[in-house]
Amino acid sequence: MMSMNRRMLSKEDEEAVGDEIEVRREDQDKINKFSRLHSHETLIEEELKVKNKEKEELDDITTELELADEDDIVPYKVGDAFFHIPLSQAQEMLGVSTAKIEGEIEELEDKLGSIREEMTQLKVELYARFGRTINLEV
Amino acid sequence: MASKGKEAAAVASKKDAATPSNPRGIPYAPFVDKVEDYVTSRADVEPTLRSFQEMIAKYQFMEQNLQKRVAGLKDKLPDIQKTLDTVRFLKLRTDESDPIETTFELNPTLYAKAEIPPTDEVYLWLGANVMLAYPIDEAETMLDSKHQAAKQSLSNCEEDLDFLREQITTMEVAVARVYNWDVVQKRKEKDEEEKSKGKGKGKEQDTPGG
Repeated sequence: MMSMNRRMLSKEDEEAVGDEIEVRREDQDKINKFSRLHSHETLIEEELKVKNKEKEELDDITTELELADEDDIVPYKVGDAFFHIPLSQAQEMLGVSTAKIEGEIEELEDKLGSIREEMTQLKVELYARFGRTINLEV
Repeated sequence: MASKGKEAAAVASKKDAATPSNPRGIPYAPFVDKVEDYVTSRADVEPTLRSFQEMIAKYQFMEQNLQKRVAGLKDKLPDIQKTLDTVRFLKLRTDESDPIETTFELNPTLYAKAEIPPTDEVYLWLGANVMLAYPIDEAETMLDSKHQAAKQSLSNCEEDLDFLREQITTMEVAVARVYNWDVVQKRKEKDEEEKSKGKGKGKEQDTPGG
């Protein structure tokens, strides 16, 4: 609800602003959209944190496995169970998982980028109309 | 007084019926273009505000229910994914002849070893104390479609939640505007009262927006 976070105006502010600026349908739509984008932004940021951590872990394991013996059998987690598989197969599966998560991270970052772009544009428009009577900062 | 309030509510609900709803049938909140469309006198303010608050409460009720559903789906999705991953892994092994050694979770914090021979049949827990044997391909198809369905349902719920939040914001703005209208009106009345009493002084401030 940050977009609705209008602070109370002091008497001086009220005089400086003069007549209340009318909220038109299109203004309301913009405020709603900004609010929605902001909550999406937060959600995606959290999701990205989780995914990045997962990727880091996968990278760590990949490095770790490079030191392993070629004939080693490694317990690899699939679902809730560990399957004991040869090193080469584990490395292959690890590669697939890493590629998958990298794809997901890229997708999320793209989404985040376009959300932020849209928010910047909306901020410009809303501040131009409402000036100090609206507060769009976190 | 009360009848005027009902009229205002009727206007609100009529607008409600005329405006379309979202894909899952949740109605749009009426947008208050002019406060005067809803309140014509200060007596209308209270019933109008009450009817607006009622609508907000309804939207919030739907919001809570959806939030619960979203939480449930977010719980379920990783479980389906895990089962699907395992089935797909087992499917890779159907051509092998040797069993594969596994360490599996017997209970939280307790693991046991098991040898799993290549299999083309898996057992899926369907709920209601029923477990059914599926050919591995069919199991994969079913789990995949369940996963897709759950994902779709989650994205619908999230879309609805966005929609509900917007309707609530719209109504909250409407409440604020009716309230402000009342404040301005009250100031006007007070000014007039003082003038009629002949006590109005020259230095009295103009009412902004009035």
